[in-house]
Amino acid sequence: MKAQERLEQVIDNIEKVIIGKRNIAELSIVAMLSHGHVLLEDVPGVGKTMLVRALAKSVGADFKRIQFTPDLLPSDVIGVSIYNPKDMEFHFRPGPIMGNIVLADEINRTSPKTQSSLLEAMEEASVTIDGVTMQIPKPFFVMATQNPIEYEGTYPLPEAQLDRFLLKIKMGYPSSKEEMEVLSRSQISAPIENLQSVITLEELIKLQEEVKLIKVDDTIRAYIVELSRHTRTEPYVYLGVSPRGSIALMKSSQAYAMLKGRDYVTPDDVQHLAKFVFSHRIMLRSEARYDGVTAEEIVDRILAKTRVPVQRYVGQ
Amino acid sequence: MINIRKNKVFMAVLYVLVFLLLAEWLTPVMSLTDTAHKSLFLIFIGLGLVMALAKVPWWISGPVKVLYVLWFIVYVYTGQAFFSNSSIVFLWSDFTANFIALTSQNWAETTDVFRTVLFFALLWMAVYLIHYWVSFRLSIFLFYLLTVVFIAVLDTFSPYTGDTAIIRIMVIGLMLAGLLHLARWIETHRIPAKIDKIAAYVIPLFLMVAASTAIALYLPKSGPIWPDPVPYITSFSGEAGSGPGTIGRIGYGVDDSQLGGSFIGDDTPVFRAEVEDGQYWKVESKDFYTTKGWRVTRNVGDKFVYNNEEQVDTDFTPGDPEQEATALLSMEQDFPFVLYPYGTKSFLMHETPDYEYDTADQRFDTFFEGDVFEPELYEVKFSEPSFSLTALRETSVEDLEELPSEFDRFVQLPEELPQRVRDLAVEITEGSDNVYDKTRAIERYFSNNNFEYSQQDIPVPEEGQDYVDQFLFETKRGYCDNFSTSMVVLLRSLDIPARWVKGFNEGELIRASDGPDIYEITNNNAHSWVEAYMPGVGWMLFEPTIGFTGAADVNFDLETGETTPEDVEMPDRPDPLQPEEPEVDAAAAEIAGPTIRARLNQFFTENKAKIVWTIIGSALLGALLYKMRSKWMPKVLIPYYRSRNGSAQTFEKAYLRLLKQLDLYGIKRRDGQTLRSYAAYIDSFFGTHEMSRLTSAYEQSVYGGNSNSVEWHELKESWENLINRTSG
Repeated sequence: MKAQERLEQVIDNIEKVIIGKRNIAELSIVAMLSHGHVLLEDVPGVGKTMLVRALAKSVGADFKRIQFTPDLLPSDVIGVSIYNPKDMEFHFRPGPIMGNIVLADEINRTSPKTQSSLLEAMEEASVTIDGVTMQIPKPFFVMATQNPIEYEGTYPLPEAQLDRFLLKIKMGYPSSKEEMEVLSRSQISAPIENLQSVITLEELIKLQEEVKLIKVDDTIRAYIVELSRHTRTEPYVYLGVSPRGSIALMKSSQAYAMLKGRDYVTPDDVQHLAKFVFSHRIMLRSEARYDGVTAEEIVDRILAKTRVPVQRYVGQ
Repeated sequence: MINIRKNKVFMAVLYVLVFLLLAEWLTPVMSLTDTAHKSLFLIFIGLGLVMALAKVPWWISGPVKVLYVLWFIVYVYTGQAFFSNSSIVFLWSDFTANFIALTSQNWAETTDVFRTVLFFALLWMAVYLIHYWVSFRLSIFLFYLLTVVFIAVLDTFSPYTGDTAIIRIMVIGLMLAGLLHLARWIETHRIPAKIDKIAAYVIPLFLMVAASTAIALYLPKSGPIWPDPVPYITSFSGEAGSGPGTIGRIGYGVDDSQLGGSFIGDDTPVFRAEVEDGQYWKVESKDFYTTKGWRVTRNVGDKFVYNNEEQVDTDFTPGDPEQEATALLSMEQDFPFVLYPYGTKSFLMHETPDYEYDTADQRFDTFFEGDVFEPELYEVKFSEPSFSLTALRETSVEDLEELPSEFDRFVQLPEELPQRVRDLAVEITEGSDNVYDKTRAIERYFSNNNFEYSQQDIPVPEEGQDYVDQFLFETKRGYCDNFSTSMVVLLRSLDIPARWVKGFNEGELIRASDGPDIYEITNNNAHSWVEAYMPGVGWMLFEPTIGFTGAADVNFDLETGETTPEDVEMPDRPDPLQPEEPEVDAAAAEIAGPTIRARLNQFFTENKAKIVWTIIGSALLGALLYKMRSKWMPKVLIPYYRSRNGSAQTFEKAYLRLLKQLDLYGIKRRDGQTLRSYAAYIDSFFGTHEMSRLTSAYEQSVYGGNSNSVEWHELKESWENLINRTSG
């Protein structure tokens, strides 16, 4: 399949820069293909920014970066209208959000007000300033990073806001072999500088449309719904996955199926993505924290106990 | 695709090794059963293996093998050209004869040709099974183990010597097992079957087998830790007399050098005799007493060869010609000799064998064209010898001293024989003045002196203990061997020539009405008795064993005028049991009631136990079948799905069936496990890639909704292969 080859090229390209994180690259592309956004959660210095830049370069997209600080204002994100005395009109000066690929670095450092302005823009793919709605150029893909180890002076994203992210990904450290490879590659110059784009934005938009046509059988839909329902009845869970979470799982599974060269979704796709789609949408009870149970473990547990559909779906 | 099974050279090597292993099976079978034409059988095996290797379709290989079998039959049994009318006539007549014999359940009338065909069928099955093991299971261990056990058992319990065979088998088997392990390993780990990889495995394997064989051959070997188990085991199964061990011993010439021990009855028929009166059927005699048992002195006396209907000369002159009788013997077990009654005149059978009479042991061995021959049906003309009491009473002890030297072996006794045995003989015979009376006194001694007939708890004499001494003075319990051996020893201690005779007693009368009586002689009727030489009269039969009545017919001749002493009880042969069954049947028939309901009631009450057991049995069988369903289901499923059309629905059903079978086989799919990961596991388990292939087709059909793309015909083979594995 042609789409798969193109996407493989993008991933290969990213892999030139980010070593040993093929899975992360795949997930980023899955999010991008299904009009979603990604929350990257990990310690500094593991290559979060590099990943986004590599992705932007590979698809030839406009790359913007917003460093979130406690004093950042919404207008610093979405832009501001400035009065021009010459023609006596307000002129809109777009903020950094008006890009194809936006890296929102350390999103939990800024005030909820600024956070929500970003999240609103993410959801609507447009910004409204002084009653004027401006479309953000397509494709639009935000990758927000969040530092999990610092709590001092941070404003953790409320769970309802987290729901706006399609996937939450943890980078993780590279293995020792991979890290050595990282060292050797960056000795002369950062490899990112030499990266060429392998796919055009137009192609990417076309692929985004094609993803919607990937077949999701009733069997698979029933399986996704069953998984979501199980998150809501799990004893450790305070708030389970919303229907928006189910939609997210379906859409990302479609994109993943395309990435794997199929025109239909299989339970394997669903299982692969469930952890990344669900874990930030599940609110755990405090008992879970006492028992050291994480959301990822809950998702694993649900995957293990939910019967995988193996026969043709027959309505209830 | 990695498939070592497709490598012709590799598979050819495997098949050659298999052929050699099969040949090791055939060799002892051939030599022990006196089957000739080993090379032709080997060609058949080779033919089967080559065709299996070349993947010749069954509709070619089957007829080829059948033709070969037919050619073999024509060639071996008639020697005629295969494509001739007479051979077809021969085959057809033999076929009809066997067919009739089988349908009328006359198993005995089936011909040798039929048995040959059965043997070929057996070989065919063996070849097929091994082909299956090697080509599909890639495992030969079970067969290898069986071969080793088979040869070891034959080596221990039969005249076949497997000394070199066992080495050959070890080498062949180790090579075969090693190569098959390589094949399995390559398949499960999906290693490309490159020649260098194979060589890197095969060469060390070969060197290791060669080295270990060489070392094993040149290492010094200690003697066996255990004694030869045969005498030990046979001592429990009854050494002589009657019992299961007897027949094998006679047939295979195992000696009687270790008498004693208990045994269990065995009513396997040995032969049937159609004769007016029950007879003692002599096989042979033994002359050398070893303190533990009997041996035969070889290379003494002459051998005489007789033909059909030729007057034979045994040591017993036939009696009154008017009393001549004919016995028709049909053998159920095969012996390379004929059994004969006392007073035998001549033998007759359909074949024209040589009857070779050996005066050393008085056995009539049968040969046909130089080969050992096992008669099946033959006629014996005989007239029971009779002896004149007058002449017997005139036998004097002095005459014994004048006997020629050829009688020396019949008075042989071991030097270790305890004196009290000799003393006892003298004591028993004190009151008799002639040889005959002395002999009779000894014969009767056992029945008057609290001896007991028993087959249970009879000891084997210990080291340094005499078999006869133990019986006469310590146990006083025993069976025919104890009595007959003791009598011979007692007689010999008085210098009366005597020998120990083996054979069968009358057996059981099984049909008395219309025509001559028919006696059935089973293993239980194997017997031993005594022949003693009366100077001036000749050899005479004596029966010391309590409860047996086989003594010679003594004519109480009239001239002597002497009254028969009370001890001359000539016990009558047992009255044939009058069959009572018919009357019982008649009674039962009368009871059978007037109405159907009554009959049914009666049927149920009479057969209550049978019905209950049948129900329990079928329930158990059903439960067993259900429990074993994973084993036989594939045999049902494959033909079923083969016959179905190639639609996607069929494929989906077949696939779900396969899942169920795999589950029964023991590879469970967890609830949360996707088909793909399950398939990957199955494939790694079986070393295939077929489950993944089937699964991706199934996914496409079910999840992709694209059932048109499924080609059941192409997937069928993978499916059958997997489902077959679940039955293994």
